[in-house]
Amino acid sequence: MTHRVTLVGAGGLGGPIGLSLGAAGLPVTIVDHDTVELSNLHRQIQFTADDIGSPKAEKLAALIVARGGTATAHVAKWTAADADKLGGDCELIIDGSDDPETKFAVADWAVENGRQYVIAAALHYGGNALAGAPGSACYRCLFEEPVDAPTCADAGVLGPVVGAIGGVAAALAIGLVRGDRMYAGALLAFDDLRKVPEPRVVRFAPRPDCPACNRAMIKPHTDAARLIVSAKGT
Amino acid sequence: MASIRVPSALRSFTAGNSDVEISAATVRDAIAELDKKHPGIGAKLLDNGKVKPFIRIFVGSDDIGDLGGLDAKVSDRDEISIVPAIAGGR
Repeated sequence: MTHRVTLVGAGGLGGPIGLSLGAAGLPVTIVDHDTVELSNLHRQIQFTADDIGSPKAEKLAALIVARGGTATAHVAKWTAADADKLGGDCELIIDGSDDPETKFAVADWAVENGRQYVIAAALHYGGNALAGAPGSACYRCLFEEPVDAPTCADAGVLGPVVGAIGGVAAALAIGLVRGDRMYAGALLAFDDLRKVPEPRVVRFAPRPDCPACNRAMIKPHTDAARLIVSAKGT
Repeated sequence: MASIRVPSALRSFTAGNSDVEISAATVRDAIAELDKKHPGIGAKLLDNGKVKPFIRIFVGSDDIGDLGGLDAKVSDRDEISIVPAIAGGR
């Protein structure tokens, strides 16, 4: 069976994620609206100076294909409204964007549509990756709403950190599509990779008043909704 | 003593230290003690006495939401982790 993956973001995290998944034989749809800039090159090591000005999604997809993988590029900003066009046929969606709103939108879309997902983030010397699957606690159960969180562009990140967090996110994604739910509903947090290479694995329970989980429960096509309807005898 | 693991985004309050030792019976007391040692950090964690929605606090690997919230008990060997939402990655 082919496990199709959609990757949102082709930058510091998206590079190692896309290359790892592509090399693992997973077809990857890459969504990113941005172009390569000189200031990206210290951490986005999938690009070279020759790529400056080119769309990141296209350059990363070409690199995956050149290494024998399968990849499609969409030069666009991922939004839930356009999700069907932008790799909506995926089994798993993985976020490596630099934008709190997008992270929440990706997670909410995955929860609502019964997809597995990984949300990755990196900043300064650390980062985290959260894995989610239908029925598990979700990103919004953990962090309730988007905030004006600092990003790499304004707060900085050590170049190798995005490679390490991206690798972890890719490993979580591969585990999930292979049916391993060990980390579904868990956050792997790396505080400072210069000092402590191991993550703290923190698990959390679904939040009863989580709007994303509650929306998923009433979506007519989800298994959960079918079970509820069936139990009511309607 | 218990320790509080401070995320990198808040280490400007702790002179760069990632771990702060505290003596406290509950998470609420621990945050008060942390703020006493490093003034200002408490306001980054709490709003009107509640944990801000983009910050989660764990005792060991357990979310304090499952342990009684800010009244979660803390013992001497516990590690309290502060995990904020972060967005970097590009």
